[in-house]
Amino acid sequence: METLTHILNGFSVCLQPVNLWYTFLGVFLGTIIGVLPGIGPSAGIALLIPVTYGMNPTSALIMMAGIYYGTKYGGSTTAILIRTPGEAASVMTSIDGYEMARKGRAGAALAVSAIGSFIAGTLGVVALTLFALPLASMALKFGPAEYFTLMLFAMTCVSSLTGKSPAKGMLSTLLGLMIATIGIDLQSGQPRYTMGIPEFQDGVGFVVVVVGLFAVAEVLRGMEDMYKGTAAKMIRISGKLWLTRDEWMRSIGPIWRGGIIGFIIGVLPGAGGTIASILSYMTEKRLSKHPEEFGTGAIEGVAGPESANNSDTAGALVPLLTLGVPGGGATAVMLGAFIMYGIQPGPLLFQNRPDLVWGLVDSMYVGNVMLLILNLPLIGIFVRLLYIPSGILYPLIVAVSVIGAYAINGSMLDLYLILFFGVVGYVFGKVDIPVAPLVLSLVLGGIMEQSFRQAMTISGGHPKIFFGSAITMTLVIMSAISIILPFALPRFKQWARGSA
Amino acid sequence: MIADRVIFVCIIILTAVYFYATAQIPSLEIGDPLGPKAFPRLLGIGMLFTAGLLFVEMWRAGKNGTQESAPREAEDWRHLKVIGAVVAWTAVYLLVFELLGYVLATTAYLIGLTAYFNRGKWLANVLTSVLFCIISYIMFVKVLGVNLAKGEPPFSLICTGLDAFYDMVARGVKAVAAAIGLF
Repeated sequence: METLTHILNGFSVCLQPVNLWYTFLGVFLGTIIGVLPGIGPSAGIALLIPVTYGMNPTSALIMMAGIYYGTKYGGSTTAILIRTPGEAASVMTSIDGYEMARKGRAGAALAVSAIGSFIAGTLGVVALTLFALPLASMALKFGPAEYFTLMLFAMTCVSSLTGKSPAKGMLSTLLGLMIATIGIDLQSGQPRYTMGIPEFQDGVGFVVVVVGLFAVAEVLRGMEDMYKGTAAKMIRISGKLWLTRDEWMRSIGPIWRGGIIGFIIGVLPGAGGTIASILSYMTEKRLSKHPEEFGTGAIEGVAGPESANNSDTAGALVPLLTLGVPGGGATAVMLGAFIMYGIQPGPLLFQNRPDLVWGLVDSMYVGNVMLLILNLPLIGIFVRLLYIPSGILYPLIVAVSVIGAYAINGSMLDLYLILFFGVVGYVFGKVDIPVAPLVLSLVLGGIMEQSFRQAMTISGGHPKIFFGSAITMTLVIMSAISIILPFALPRFKQWARGSA
Repeated sequence: MIADRVIFVCIIILTAVYFYATAQIPSLEIGDPLGPKAFPRLLGIGMLFTAGLLFVEMWRAGKNGTQESAPREAEDWRHLKVIGAVVAWTAVYLLVFELLGYVLATTAYLIGLTAYFNRGKWLANVLTSVLFCIISYIMFVKVLGVNLAKGEPPFSLICTGLDAFYDMVARGVKAVAAAIGLF
């Protein structure tokens, strides 16, 4: 009963005019960020952090969450019209969505992605509302050892599942943790790896790393495509922005299935929207009576993945809000934002700040309605953004990144760092090193080390504490499996094929 | 595959440097049995493990014959010149950022980049660059209260002039609003 009161109270928070305004601003910016190439949700949220310093944290977080799920709506537009996912998770939409657009059904493709996103997005928020509290209650039993092993599990999953090579994923994770050790050690007060630079005593800010890796690097890649002449050409919207009866009947199943797949994948660390949409696409192809149509403009190939990558965002907020441990790059940036406002997400947040948690969750219902309106009748306005020449857009993104980085401390070092991490991100892209694990471990690094040292202090310096309870044992085993699986699976398949 | 070998060597060098830097951290270890070095050492060991994993991946890729073709790597080098130039131009922009101030430095930076990447459209490029810088300066500094470099004299005159212009307009709007009884 008390929970229901909190949930209803959350609506009174999110329906306050100021919060409605920030929800709108968040989803509006999210749609723009999703439509524009060169900037994604992680960089978008990170760039907003310095601007929102003085704001009420609830409003600021509502706006940032709006950006997070708003980008998923916007990302499909570029996937359909220019075959370039505006946001990584829309990669599957670009296959059949673009083919539909080529056949003059761009309107239907955009409509099904907006409607699917709305239904699955709302379904995801309902599931978030239902599952958040039981998980948070369970997490109340967690001590430092449980938290350490949980973070270890999140990181090993992200390392193994992001990118093509588990070793490179692990390298990215460890680099993030190493960067997190730069600065004054909070427990002993000793400076570590500061290289005599006073600004490094506070550590390397995650905002500059995110902006460098996700915005500046993306701009460099975009400029390279322009130079090569491989930048995509746009198809104009044709056909009605609605579905025929047949298209609607074909889409409804994939939307529901995609919604469920997306939420489950979202809750699990590491997988994220891209894997959710790939899984949904594969499921629909397998279930379809006409699998040969996939790749040539099958509406199921748009409805399923788009729904999956939207409910994934609600799923991804479950571990962030209930455990305080994000499972991917964008939620890691959101955790960084929470911490900057002096709020520690996790089970205690549900007890101490139910207004904030439920205000944020309930704002997602409202935000999804706003996004449906923005992305269906008003999509034409956002499509106009695609007419901005990339040669102008990319330099402007660098300028906005500079404003965001300089606004944090007014430090020139932060500006040099965004350029440095921009180059690092560009090079990492060339050699297939994923950057999301680096961001996740950079944000979690400080808390992880703290949990590790607290656990070791409790156990008198003996590592047996990490195998001491059923929870830690399970998490350690699952972490080990997530490292071994990518290596063992191909061998097992080879062996199975050989013995067959 | 060449890239993977380079990454492998980089991991080893980085780990060695990290271990050396960890050894340099002064450690008092009062009330904390592990001290500030233990966690970094664990990360160093993790890096060595990663190098091992990468080695296994390289060995398996070599065995399966999934090496990348050399032409692709050679082709990539040509585009790197342009990216190198963009990075160098951005570095110059950042070096003069506090001297020239946000508005002047960013306008010059944007005009330079758009001149190359949006060729032949001088008027649109210059107008976009100038208007973007003025509007973003006013929006961030005057409306949102964000700190941006104003520049050293005499370059700071531009930002000071914009500040004065905005204040004058704001005063004018307030006066008009008061006159017609809006506030």
